Amino acid sequence: MFVQLFISGIAFGSLYALIALAMVIIYKTSEVPNFGQGEMAMLSTFVAYALLENYGYSFTISFTGSLLFAALLGIFLEFVFLRRAKEPNVLSLMLITLGFQMILYGLASWKWGADQRNLAFPVSDFDTIQVGSAVLSYLNIATILITLILMFILFLFFKYTKVGIAMKATQQNAVAAKINGIRTNRILSITWAMSSVIGAVAGILLAPIATLDPNLMMDPLIKGFASAVLGGMTTLVGAAFGGYMLGIIENLFGGYVSLEFKSVVAFGIIVLVLCFKPSGLFAKHYVRKV
Amino acid sequence: MKKRVVFTLFSLVLALLVFIPFSWAERGVTDTEIRIGQWGPQTGPASLWGAVARGTGCYFDMINAEGGIHGRKIKYFLRDDGYMPARTKAIAKELVEDKEIFAFASGVGSATGMAVKRYLHKNKVPWVGPAAGSTHWGYPPTKYLWGTYPLYCDEAAILIDHAVNTLKKKRIAFFYQNDDYGKEGLYGAQLALEKYGMKLVAEVSAEPLDTDLSSHVMKLKASNADCVLNWVLPKHGAIVLGTAAKLGFKPQWMTTSTLSDTPIMYKITKGLYKDVFFTTFAELPESDFPLLKKYKKAQEQFAPKERWGVFFYAGFYFVEPMVEALKRCGRDLTIENFVKAMDSIKDFQGIGPVNSFGPNKRQGTRSSFVGKCVEGGESVRITDWMPSGIDVNEVIKRAYNR
Repeated sequence: MFVQLFISGIAFGSLYALIALAMVIIYKTSEVPNFGQGEMAMLSTFVAYALLENYGYSFTISFTGSLLFAALLGIFLEFVFLRRAKEPNVLSLMLITLGFQMILYGLASWKWGADQRNLAFPVSDFDTIQVGSAVLSYLNIATILITLILMFILFLFFKYTKVGIAMKATQQNAVAAKINGIRTNRILSITWAMSSVIGAVAGILLAPIATLDPNLMMDPLIKGFASAVLGGMTTLVGAAFGGYMLGIIENLFGGYVSLEFKSVVAFGIIVLVLCFKPSGLFAKHYVRKV
Repeated sequence: MKKRVVFTLFSLVLALLVFIPFSWAERGVTDTEIRIGQWGPQTGPASLWGAVARGTGCYFDMINAEGGIHGRKIKYFLRDDGYMPARTKAIAKELVEDKEIFAFASGVGSATGMAVKRYLHKNKVPWVGPAAGSTHWGYPPTKYLWGTYPLYCDEAAILIDHAVNTLKKKRIAFFYQNDDYGKEGLYGAQLALEKYGMKLVAEVSAEPLDTDLSSHVMKLKASNADCVLNWVLPKHGAIVLGTAAKLGFKPQWMTTSTLSDTPIMYKITKGLYKDVFFTTFAELPESDFPLLKKYKKAQEQFAPKERWGVFFYAGFYFVEPMVEALKRCGRDLTIENFVKAMDSIKDFQGIGPVNSFGPNKRQGTRSSFVGKCVEGGESVRITDWMPSGIDVNEVIKRAYNR
């Protein structure tokens, strides 16, 4: 039982890790936790569904189309709403993201209704392989692999590409970055696009398990946010690790302690981390001197 | 002196003017129309059941097309509450005080209904057939409220009877949503099993927002159950079947009427819903039952865009007794007469089970039948209408300590 709970924890933790990564990418450049992240992913997943079911495209085209839509959606939201904010502070930007959440949720409910839908994913969640005394479905394996690959790509991106380095520069000191010729506005757009795409991947991987409806990302978003807080809102590796940890902790807690309180674990973790290590387990703790 | 007489007369006339209209006409009833309202989630998480309210509208359209009730047409007010009790409250107030409706028909949800139950009673608004099978409507009976949805606890008891007597299941587990809906089902199952000297081998609950149910399924699997009753929402119904299939856990699954829309469940479970047993509150969609066929024609005529699903025609079933009572009132339609007419309904059957009411009997039915999902998502009927033999008061005692 322990092994199965642990492995199932890793599989679901991968999804939390993806959402945490998506949140952290935006947080790193603009210090805004994006509460619209879940709904952005949900809407992109619906686009994949529509391309697949209504227009009859192949999965590859639908999947690519959905990711493209996600990128454009991210750029659109950043360009049309966030950039227009007058003298923005973190609080007002955060409220704008909450606004996105509601608008996008309403949009999806209006367009597709609340019926549960089945996203035909080419990898099965019912065919399994035996790992010791536990089983993993092909979809679980695909999820874990895709998450690892994305993390690796992100690592390379931030370490070796010009844009990646420019992003880090923008985050550390936007004014200095601008003086050095970095178009910080464009960097922000790219950040939103990337984050939105990663969220969409999480949505598409989750939908075959959880069925697709406008509430798809409600619970996973909170869990992803908790993972990011747990690992550290400013570190990619930390956030991803936080996702895996939360998945495992949650499952073990549900299996051995209490199923009723399983969903509360994430909130407990947010509170505990904020009390004892507010910048997260893996981030350097800054003290800002005034 | 003269002034005083004039003043008194004037006040008398004014008072008469104020009171006269009330003694002449009942709220919501005119010579040509009866105003009836309903709330139902047309948007938001529960809008799958929004079809109920649209079904009622189609039913009323059919009745109006047949000439109405004693020369009066039904004017129907449908409002979207998005399954939010606060909005249901506002809707009840608007429809009662502003639109001056005569009565409320159905209305989806326990929490939403509970939010307005007291308000409707205080304002003497008759309310027939809330679309939820909780014990809140008929126990204790209140003067203006009648329940037609089979109780969740009765559905559970009927499934247990079927599992034990017909399928010879020995180890039965229960998976439920941690709220009134789930708990009433749970206690119904417990009581039914106690009759056979048996106990549930596992009782596992889920919170409405849980997405990952692997530890829940592990618990069910560890109990070695050969039959599991699901008392959850469609989403969890699909997730739990998928997770169980993945983990190699294959019991006989059974579910409540809430998950009886088999074409949808079959689709979102990718076929895993085949062979699932369920209880329900009305004839199955493809049944040859003459009245149901008549309703289907009404749907094709008045609501051609709607899918002919169980939740759509549920909107007909829940308010059939209401229409019967309106007919029994004749031209003299007042609230008091309507209450008497509703309470005079005995052994009345439309497309659902037999309903009987009385001043102290406000839950019209305690029966349901068992159906089974087959290949392709269609369903077949397995049993006749079966009464549940459990004591509702014991369920209420276990669930609410009262």
